[in-house]
Amino acid sequence: MDGLTAAESRELDQRLQKRQVKEFMSVFGNLVDNCFTACVDDFTSKALSGRESGCISRCVLKSMSTQTRLGERFGELNAAMTAEMQRR
Amino acid sequence: MFGLGRPQPTSAEKIAAVENELKVVAEMHSRMVKICTLKCIDKTYREGDLSKGESVCLDRCAAKFFETHQKISDQLQKETQARGGGGFGM
Repeated sequence: MDGLTAAESRELDQRLQKRQVKEFMSVFGNLVDNCFTACVDDFTSKALSGRESGCISRCVLKSMSTQTRLGERFGELNAAMTAEMQRR
Repeated sequence: MFGLGRPQPTSAEKIAAVENELKVVAEMHSRMVKICTLKCIDKTYREGDLSKGESVCLDRCAAKFFETHQKISDQLQKETQARGGGGFGM
């Protein structure tokens, strides 16, 4: 594939930015769903209990660490896979 | 490749091709995170840090996920060809 012109590059960047925003919203949504499901199970009250609150905080921290770590592994593995496919 | 008699890809096509490839990669990443979290992370969230065990599990999960992807890709290709290339219409 030929390279992209400056205008095409700009268009691509715009699309990618839009995609990144969508991606973030999706990650955020999954985080809420995941941590809520894991941590919240006491419906004797409308307000989050201290236990539930603490759990959610830890869930967020752990989820972010997980994203970071898997992001690194994914990058390495994807690069290796791409290289292997080109070699074949 | 001289593209004789073959139309060059339009601007829109070139941009769409790059965007699509990134989409495919991003989707794979997202699926991997979901599944490896499910398989490796302690759902009680007693700690905010990843334990050593969880960390190692995540690394191995990612590696196996990719190996599985490749294995299935290869096998699917082989099977599809063996069945006369019909199958999935690939």
